[in-house]
Amino acid sequence: MAESLLAALVSLNGPGHYFHWHWIDISYANLTVIALMVVTFVAALFVPFPGRRHKKETK
Amino acid sequence: MSESPDVKVAPWTGPQRPYDIIKEGTIAFVVVAILTIGLALVFSSPDDPQVTVQQWSTKAPIDFAQTALAELNGTSGTAQYGAPYNTASSGQQLGPFTLAKWLGATIPVNTVRDFVVDPLTDQPATPALSSALTQWKGASATQRTAWVDAYTKASGKMTFTNGTVSVPTNAAGPVPVMINTLEQMARSGALDQALVTQSGFYTSNFTLPLLFLADGSYLGDLAQQRHLLGTQWGMMNETGNYPGQAWLWLYTFWYQVPPFSTSANADVQVWGIMMLLSLLLLLVPFIPGLRSIPRWTRVYRLIWRDHYRAQGA
Repeated sequence: MAESLLAALVSLNGPGHYFHWHWIDISYANLTVIALMVVTFVAALFVPFPGRRHKKETK
Repeated sequence: MSESPDVKVAPWTGPQRPYDIIKEGTIAFVVVAILTIGLALVFSSPDDPQVTVQQWSTKAPIDFAQTALAELNGTSGTAQYGAPYNTASSGQQLGPFTLAKWLGATIPVNTVRDFVVDPLTDQPATPALSSALTQWKGASATQRTAWVDAYTKASGKMTFTNGTVSVPTNAAGPVPVMINTLEQMARSGALDQALVTQSGFYTSNFTLPLLFLADGSYLGDLAQQRHLLGTQWGMMNETGNYPGQAWLWLYTFWYQVPPFSTSANADVQVWGIMMLLSLLLLLVPFIPGLRSIPRWTRVYRLIWRDHYRAQGA
């Protein structure tokens, strides 16, 4: 009972999956995290600051 | 002489805005906490079972016995590693600098004593084991070497049948009984306990069982299956499908390319490169060219695009 309560909704404990290209060997999990980091960085550059359009900037 | 445009920067005369770092920090903390708890609830965490000497000796008894023999005859990885475990070799060195040797054998490991003789001595005595240990401890170094050499010579024909390790030789003195008893001890789980508890009351020092496991092939084979070897970018991997230490990509990258991929001193060489690169990063504001990259890439104009647009208008 306790074990089923503690079990993950999505188990990632199965055999890992990897992307191979020449000498590059990276897990899809790491690729996903890196892609999310890149998306966050790009979003930080392009998404406007919250309230930027409304707040009056002071000199 | 004109000053560098990276150093001589005009003071900011544009608009300013209030900034509440406490508010921003609190929001960041709450968002990260919600993400952490949410992801932990959905995905939990890696749950690979611990690898033990008992498991190793049960699943690969010959590999275990051959490794125990390597600890006895001094050919194991640990026996030949050098500092910090012994003085058998110079250890890792950076060019002419024998860094590991300078630091010395700070965690002394005598593979014969720590992996074989001491654990066997801790075992409940049986007549055969007591006799073998008495014979071993009373023999000269030359005699011990002769026994171990005879066993090593015949070890290519080692077999494991009905829980017993056999090697076709009669010239190995007490060595067959010692190896066989160690195998049985390992399969019962007693060796795991004996190797850990040698360090004292608290059983949190796993140095000896880890070194013993690493000297065999079993642990390496498991690591290879899970993509955890150094040659598989293992430093940045986690077991299963969990994301690992992606931020270590540069550290493990060097191990994949020559000359580091074939160097016996790759550990200290890669460490040296990373220290050098870290120093470069720390000194970016003082390095001409490197410090100009933000000015050349003009990413700042994207961030403050409203200001520059207004300025251009």
